[in-house]
Amino acid sequence: MANPRMKAIVSYPPAIMQNLSRRNITGYLLVGLFFAGALPCLSGCGESTGQSKPEPATSVAVSTDNAATSGIIRIVSSLPRTGSAKLQTDTMVNGIKLALDEAAYKVGDFSLELEDRDDATAATGDWTPDAEGDNARQAANDPDVMVYIGPYNSGAAKVSMPILNRAGLLMISPANTAVGLTKPGLGEPDEPAIYRPTGKKNYARVVPADDLQGTCAAEWAKDMGIKTVYILDDNSFYGKGIAEMFRQRCNELEIDVLGHDSIDTKAQEFRSKMTSIKALKPDLLYYGGTTQTKGGQICKDMVAAGLKCKLMVPDGCMENAFIQAAGPENANERVYVTFGGVPPENQTGRGKEFVERYKKRFGFMPEAYAIYSYEATNAALEAIRKAGKKDRAAIIEAAFAIKDFPGALGNWSFDENGDTTLHKLSGNIVRSGKFEFVRLLGDGNQQKPMGDQKK
Amino acid sequence: MNPSQKPPTRFLKRWDVLVLAVFVFYPFACSLTRTVFPSWAGPTFGNALGDQLSTLFIFSILALGLNVAVGYTGLLQLGIAAFFGIGVYITGILRVPSYPFQLPFTAALVLSALGAALCGLVLGAPTLRLRGDYLALVTLGFGEVVKVTLRNLEEITAGTKGLNPIPPPHLPPWLAVPIGWLGIENSWETDYRLFYFLTLGILVIVIALLANLENSRLGRSWVAIREDELAATCMGINAPRAKLASFAASAGLAGLAGCLYATKLTTTADPNTYDFNRSIIILCCVILGGLGSLRGVLLGVLLLLGFDNIVSPQINSTLQSWLQHLGGGVQSSAVAERLLSFSNWRLMIFGLALVAIMRFRPEGLWPSARLQHELHWDEPRPPLPNSNSA
Amino acid sequence: MLTLLLAADSISGWQLFVQQCLNGLTYGALIALIALGYTMVYGIIGLINFAHGDLFMLGTFLTLTLINAFGLDTAASAWTVAISVAALLIVVALFCAVLNFSVDRLIYKPLRNAPKLAPLVSAIGVSFIFQNVGLLWKGPADLSVPKLISQRNLLGDSAITFTPSDAVLLVVVAAIMSGLTVLVKFTRLGKSMRAVSQDPVAAQLMGIHVERVIGSTFLIGGGLAGFAAVIYSMYIGTIGFQIGYINGLYAFTAAVLGGIGNIPGAVLGGIVIGMVRSLGSAYVEERWTAAIIFGILIVILIFRPSGLLGERMREKV
Repeated sequence: MANPRMKAIVSYPPAIMQNLSRRNITGYLLVGLFFAGALPCLSGCGESTGQSKPEPATSVAVSTDNAATSGIIRIVSSLPRTGSAKLQTDTMVNGIKLALDEAAYKVGDFSLELEDRDDATAATGDWTPDAEGDNARQAANDPDVMVYIGPYNSGAAKVSMPILNRAGLLMISPANTAVGLTKPGLGEPDEPAIYRPTGKKNYARVVPADDLQGTCAAEWAKDMGIKTVYILDDNSFYGKGIAEMFRQRCNELEIDVLGHDSIDTKAQEFRSKMTSIKALKPDLLYYGGTTQTKGGQICKDMVAAGLKCKLMVPDGCMENAFIQAAGPENANERVYVTFGGVPPENQTGRGKEFVERYKKRFGFMPEAYAIYSYEATNAALEAIRKAGKKDRAAIIEAAFAIKDFPGALGNWSFDENGDTTLHKLSGNIVRSGKFEFVRLLGDGNQQKPMGDQKK
Repeated sequence: MNPSQKPPTRFLKRWDVLVLAVFVFYPFACSLTRTVFPSWAGPTFGNALGDQLSTLFIFSILALGLNVAVGYTGLLQLGIAAFFGIGVYITGILRVPSYPFQLPFTAALVLSALGAALCGLVLGAPTLRLRGDYLALVTLGFGEVVKVTLRNLEEITAGTKGLNPIPPPHLPPWLAVPIGWLGIENSWETDYRLFYFLTLGILVIVIALLANLENSRLGRSWVAIREDELAATCMGINAPRAKLASFAASAGLAGLAGCLYATKLTTTADPNTYDFNRSIIILCCVILGGLGSLRGVLLGVLLLLGFDNIVSPQINSTLQSWLQHLGGGVQSSAVAERLLSFSNWRLMIFGLALVAIMRFRPEGLWPSARLQHELHWDEPRPPLPNSNSA
Repeated sequence: MLTLLLAADSISGWQLFVQQCLNGLTYGALIALIALGYTMVYGIIGLINFAHGDLFMLGTFLTLTLINAFGLDTAASAWTVAISVAALLIVVALFCAVLNFSVDRLIYKPLRNAPKLAPLVSAIGVSFIFQNVGLLWKGPADLSVPKLISQRNLLGDSAITFTPSDAVLLVVVAAIMSGLTVLVKFTRLGKSMRAVSQDPVAAQLMGIHVERVIGSTFLIGGGLAGFAAVIYSMYIGTIGFQIGYINGLYAFTAAVLGGIGNIPGAVLGGIVIGMVRSLGSAYVEERWTAAIIFGILIVILIFRPSGLLGERMREKV
């Protein structure tokens, strides 16, 4: 035997093991069964001596009567903290921190902790189901966690919602806009019931859903005098959903839809697609997608292919990273963005105060979604305050009971689906390298959430 | 060393039993710790890790599957994630309420493995005459085609929306009762231990099967083909058939892993989850651990994916909270912040580890005895390789 | 062909078709430029250099940094633009060449005798390292490279657009391809390359300094990645730390499609991919193009296992 290493690996098993190994599978299984059987018994006995089994996390939280009224309450945020959404999520986490700061990290006798979790990996640069699932499961298993703020991507919500629903943990998303997550009858046939295996509701969001945004976008296009439109989407849960809403509304408004295609977001350039679209001569190109799914490149290739029409994108592109990726010279006066709310610069009243406090605290302007994470956190704190105890079920109940909450976005309530009653959307345009507010969309006026409104 | 000497074939060694025991005992050790030291170990002590370990077990099965093709037979397969994805989607179709099938979990498990194996045959058959890198490229291309197809065939796969929810397995009563005795709750969502033992059990069965297969007639013919296809054929080995079997076995195990993955995730997720990146990471695990070595592959998965999924997020959050205390919330410059975030260094550590291990242990961390012997039979080496490797 | 028939039906008929072919040609030429680097390295040491795409990515980052540092995008006259583009090409190509060469010396060279998968995995490792460097350098978001070359249509008001950047791209690729072919066919270095690729031992016995030849190949390959990086920044204009992966994948596919180790083959492969992507996007559906490209790859490899031009030209590189 030439190699000493090999000897080491072979080693000299004791006789009993050698015997077992002769009967390869059976031996293996026998040993496995032995350990599986004997050892757990020991620990099982040990466990039964302890008072009320501490094992299942939820049972701690759900046991209603003797829930603690002081101690630590942990708030978990799960957002894509690596990848190109980072610019956005940085300011979102800052928004959460600002809200916690203002509450001095305390609600009643509870002290609050924030756990800032990442649902993206460096390798993919975008959220992954594994990471989101891990975050959700760990939050579910931690009895101190009472609120889950996130996720950012609607697709990610589909992974974490069923997990957290079973754990009975309150989930408030500052950014998910996919319709099916809350509203029956608009998405897939069995949505949103499939995300609520226990049948109870635990998911709420502070942004208006895409049914509003898609339809408002179409109405805005109609008002601009658009006659023909070409629709692209990024083939994602979010992008496809909103593009579909947009298309339906266009049909109702008799805007001629010249075509609808999904792009391959892994591709580097779309000049050919743009050339084909150019031949159809639309007045407007609608792209249902995000900055992370090549929104910027679409804009750039429109210019390169000589397509001169307008480009309209949804809120997934409402971040400075989009303008950076598209190049301001390409995006200026060309890109129209719908957004479920008002951009930071154009906030008024309490929203404006938020932006100022934010700037003072962190030294720069927040991105568009920071105010929503701030709002989501405040809603969560309100729910904890009202519930008055560390009890997941009570906190969910309190959250869904929130009515006329005086938040930074205005006075709003959660409706029976967990959607916000704020239906104020804004239309924005990219001008000199910045998003510029153009007008309010939808029925923003009905709610009268703020005193003064810029028309 | 005399090459005709029988290589060591026994799989079960003292250390293996010990390691297995540690994994089997782990959840109970955690609950024991919790009961004995309630002040030190919180009520969730060990749950998160146990949950992540069961994901690692699933990826171990996937890596072992890849090892059949790459390690045993020497077929460089760069599209293993596609078969994984096929397994995931078969499970999804057979289990979700929106389809009429709603088969039980065990049926889905078997059918996912068989379905993926069938796809392996379909891909394997026309590519038999390709060699080396050309074969690698075909498998890579196949992976991309599968991914795009899964994404675009929305009528069947629900596209990027994914098929969900996939219900958890149903424990038969004869199993549920003894499991209750062990203090395990019969609830797949709240008690991670059910998945933990399910995946661990299947992994052990897969390992046992592969350990036997290694020394079977088929296993030996795979190795013979890897070493020299021509010579193997001359010795009467039906090379095409053996290669097809290897492809099918590899794909089948990947499908099996896919079924478990989908069941654990409760959704098929986005088809982009099953892309080239995943194939490459799994391939790295296999090569880093040791091609063709069961223990090596398991070690590779534990190290690489354990680092990526478990250790790295942990370090990151610790580092962040530490920095927060240190910096007192002062906003540093964007570049400094980038440099201080551990997750921004993950790829670097990954890359350096791969490079270093290949530099100092090209046969992998725990190579199969046979491969190790092949690589070191002529130490010290002559300065140049024989020519046909170029 | 089906695509031709479909083209006849479409709205602007042949003009659209010509435009799509032009799009495909330019994009394909770009892919070909990256593919040439793959094919050179593969031809000489049989290594699928997974890090090549990421080397190219670092090149694009350097391009952006240089443009910003020297304010090249403010250049007014055509001459200053031409000079800055030429300077960029040289500097970035040098950077990539030196980087590629150092990686070879540091990482791949000690593995020349190791099993074939060892350098492959090292290359994957290097690719991760490069990506991480890119991430730390410019952050995770996509960035836009300011336009240096005007987007003006060279064909005036014609429905077909052909911009100066398209022209620069095609000229550079054609020049590089012919230059490389001459280098490999007629120079002493080229002859040694072919010899090493056929049989390194025999080459060494014939007095060829094998390591020096391999080193020069890495230098040339890196330089090609640098050229590609500058051109890509001009032409596509959006860069990010992950662009190496997909471009590398397409480029590698192009190299194999044409017959790996074969210079005209890599260019042909690139153009096939560009055309398929462009025409597929125009006449099938954008979302299926990746599947079509890889489907064609599989079919071609099954029927012509050594690529389109692989058999006709037996010598590698």
